[in-house]
Order: sequence, then C-alpha cells, then structure tokens
Amino acid sequence: MAELEDTQFESGDSGASATFPMQCSALRKNGFVMLKSRPCKIVEMSTSKTGKHGHAKVHMVGIDIFNGKKLEDICPSTHNMDVPVVKREDFTLIDISGDGFLSMMNDNGDLREDLKVPDGDLGTQIRADFENGRELLCTVLKACGEECVIAVKANTAAEK
Amino acid sequence: MATNSNETASAPQKAADAVFVPTQEHGFNNKVQGYDWSQGLDYGKLIGSYITTGFQATTFGLAVNEVNKMLAKRAEPIPESLGLDEFEEDLFIKRKSNCTIFLGYTSNMCSSGIRDTIKFLVQNKLVDCIVTTAGGVEEDFIKCLAPTFVGNFELKGSTLRESGINRIGNLVIPNDNYCKFEDWVMPLLDEMVTEQKEKGTKWTPSRIIEKLGRAINNPESVYYWAAVNNIPVFSPALTDGSLGDMMYFHSYKNPGLVVDILEDLKRLNTMAVKASNSGMVILGGGLIKHHICNANLMRNGADFAVFINTACDFDGSDSGAKPDEAVSWGKIKKDATPVKVCADASLVFPILVAETFAKHHFASTSK
Repeated sequence: MAELEDTQFESGDSGASATFPMQCSALRKNGFVMLKSRPCKIVEMSTSKTGKHGHAKVHMVGIDIFNGKKLEDICPSTHNMDVPVVKREDFTLIDISGDGFLSMMNDNGDLREDLKVPDGDLGTQIRADFENGRELLCTVLKACGEECVIAVKANTAAEK
Repeated sequence: MATNSNETASAPQKAADAVFVPTQEHGFNNKVQGYDWSQGLDYGKLIGSYITTGFQATTFGLAVNEVNKMLAKRAEPIPESLGLDEFEEDLFIKRKSNCTIFLGYTSNMCSSGIRDTIKFLVQNKLVDCIVTTAGGVEEDFIKCLAPTFVGNFELKGSTLRESGINRIGNLVIPNDNYCKFEDWVMPLLDEMVTEQKEKGTKWTPSRIIEKLGRAINNPESVYYWAAVNNIPVFSPALTDGSLGDMMYFHSYKNPGLVVDILEDLKRLNTMAVKASNSGMVILGGGLIKHHICNANLMRNGADFAVFINTACDFDGSDSGAKPDEAVSWGKIKKDATPVKVCADASLVFPILVAETFAKHHFASTSK
C-alpha cells in the first residue's frame, strides 16, 4: 500500500504537494522556506563553516508570509529543508460583503467570495479605497493550503 | 705622591665596610646540592634532588611536600566530632575523608596528555572534587571519539583554517572531531530537554557532566570515572566551548534546556564548608583557580594549596596571584604552607603526581 501511495502522480492544484525539499545550502535570501512548519520568506541568512561547533550550519531568519511573525532556525548545510510552493494571483475587487468577505474576480472571469478583508492597515486601506470608488487589484498569496490578500494596488488602467 | 701610595696600600675604610659586611647568624640550613651523577641514573633520586637544587626545582620539591601533607591528612580518620556526614543524601558531595582535595585545571590540560594523569587520579578516587572549564570537559569526550595530534607551535593559522584543523599550542584537532562530537552529544541534549520537561530535572553543569560521563561509558574518560566514583565536576562556564556551541544550535531545534549554575555553587561551597580539612591542587589560572579558592573562603581558607602556572601577578590578575594574596582574602589559612610552582604543568604535573598521589596509591594497593 505504501508503495502505491508513493507512486501516485500528483497533478492539478488540489493534489499538488504543498512543499518540496531543497538542500539547506541551496536556499537563498528572499526565497521561501518552511520554518517551524510555517511558510516563510527568508530575510536573513548566514552560514558558518565546519569548525569547533561541528558541522557547517546555515542560520536563517524568516518572516511568516501570512502573519508576518519572525521565525528562526539553524540547520546543518547538508540537510534538506522544506520549501513551500507559493502561488501569487491578482484579483479585481468587486464588492465587500457586510460580514467582511471580499468578492473578487480573476482574469478568467472566475468569481470567488471565500477570502476575508485582511486585518490591520491593509484591510483599512482596502475598505477606504473601495468606498472611494477606486478600481482595486488584490494580490492573493497561496501556500500550504492557506490563502490571504497580502497587497492591494489601484487598477489604474481600469480607472482611466 | 706619599698620600697616593698610602691609599693603594690599603682600601679606604668606607669601601671596605660597604663590601665586607660580616655574616650574622642565619637560619638557612639546606645546602644547595644537585643530583650526584656518580650514583648512575636514578630518576627517583634525581627528582628527590630538586628540593635542594634551587629556583623552581626547589619550589617543585616544596609542592611535593605540600601534596604529601594533604595525603597524610587524608589518611587520618575523620574526627568523631564531625561525624560521618550521614545526613548528606547527595553522594557526590558527601564528606569522604579527612581531607577533601579539590583539583582544578584549564582546558589545555585536557587537550594534552595531562588528561591521562587526571584520569588516574579520578579513577583511583585520589581527588574529591574537580573544577574545570568547558574545553576541559569536552576535550575528554572528544578524545574518546577521535584523537588529538601532536603538531607544532609554528603551524600557520590561515593554512590550518583552510585544511579544517584547529591548534592548541603544539597540538592539533581536526574539525572532523567536533562533527563527531556533535553527532554524539545532540541526542543527549534532546534527552536532557525531555527529562527536564517530563521529570522536572534541574540540570546543572555538574549534573550534565555526570550524564555525559555515564553516556560515554569509556574507561579512557576522566568523566566516566568521575560519574562512577561520585566525584563531582563543576564547570560554571560550561557553555564557553564547543559544548556551548552545541547547546546554542540545539536550542533552535529543541528549545527549553535550562542550566542552573547556582545549584552547582551550592554543591561546591557545601563541600568546602563541610570538609574536615581541604587541599587545593590547581593547574593554570582564571576561573578554575578562583572558583576553588572562593569555595574555600567559605571554610575560612584551605589548609593546603599547590598552584602550578606560569602567570605573573604584576598586572593584578588572580591567575598570577601568589598564594599569599589568597591568604589575605581568607581563601588559604594563615598558618598554611602553600606553594606556587611557576612552570608549565605539562612538564611538572606528572612528576608531581608520581612523587605524591601515585606513590601513595601504589604503596596502598601493594599492601
């Protein structure tokens, strides 16, 4: 059974692996990595060669791409780390519902109403701009089964 | 002319008085006498001649006498008034003899072959307590995993760095040894974290060293024997070395390990306070020297002391401080006869042990 499971081909969005392994030494700043089971963007990286402290090591500081929390890890440079598959897509904002859900449409005209207005300054900005009647493009980041609006910009082309 | 010839005939009285001061009665009875080579080669007599040879050879001879005083005191029964310390539940700090001997040494001693002399002392319960630094702990374990090699003092740092080799004086340790150490120690750190969380174990440097000593389970190791023989090893700066590097990296993977140095201080000071008599044998300076002396302050000073180091005291360092400075602090008793040997312990310590602990040990085992 286990073998069968291993050999299953993964295709499409739903079945795709959320992460893939990469040797620690191959990771780069501004790339993505899983730290403490959270998808993070690497903001700092330093390596120490083999020495009195033992095997060569990579020290990483990451920012959780969804909640902005700082996470750190140190890993032997020859070890594999998990790298999250991160997808980014822009949606045109159509409406904001009374209970705080965003109504958005992608380039193919597919509608979605499953994401909430994000917390904090970004959410405030989206609401204010939307009430001012601006055409808005929301950037949605997806990784490890989580999705979130991480940025918003005015769709200047549509506004003209 | 006449006055001139008169002056050459006898020296001026003033100069004569200045040069020829008559010898007063003095108390110096030991004639300077080196080894008499006409006796042929006899190492025992050769070393025995040191005490009348002068300079540090004489100091060495005095150190031999001082350590033998410790051992003689140790062989005496504990006074009845003190009792047998039967209420002490901690076997490591329980009073075991009439003279508690504190042995201190720096990390380089363990890197060198002095480690094997220390192992002899610990294996045969000839000392009661050890204070050392992180390197003094980890080098012993690393030697059980891979050897340290003899190099030389002139090997160039940058070349060694490129080839992954670390230098300690004229000894060299490959980086690979530390990788082996990492692979060995990391699971043990995991165990410590688990034990702390599940059983509430309070880890202290001495408890960690005891655990590692049992884990290495190798009769070559100083700390294996220390654990087996209930001899505590204190190392308040345990994190200042490769072991600390390991703890640092480990704290990212499996955080939460707490190391309590105060609990250890209580154990060490308690040992000094309850000792019937106490002796200090200290190789090198810095933390290990002061930590032992400071503990002995708690009992109004050690009864016996031997320091072996090459440090000077003109900079006010404790490392270089002569025993008399410790007397001023109450770390050594006023009427004690402490000795400082200014020499490299790698040369002197094995001979000192041969003339003292070893003679004592082999004499008692051959009975």
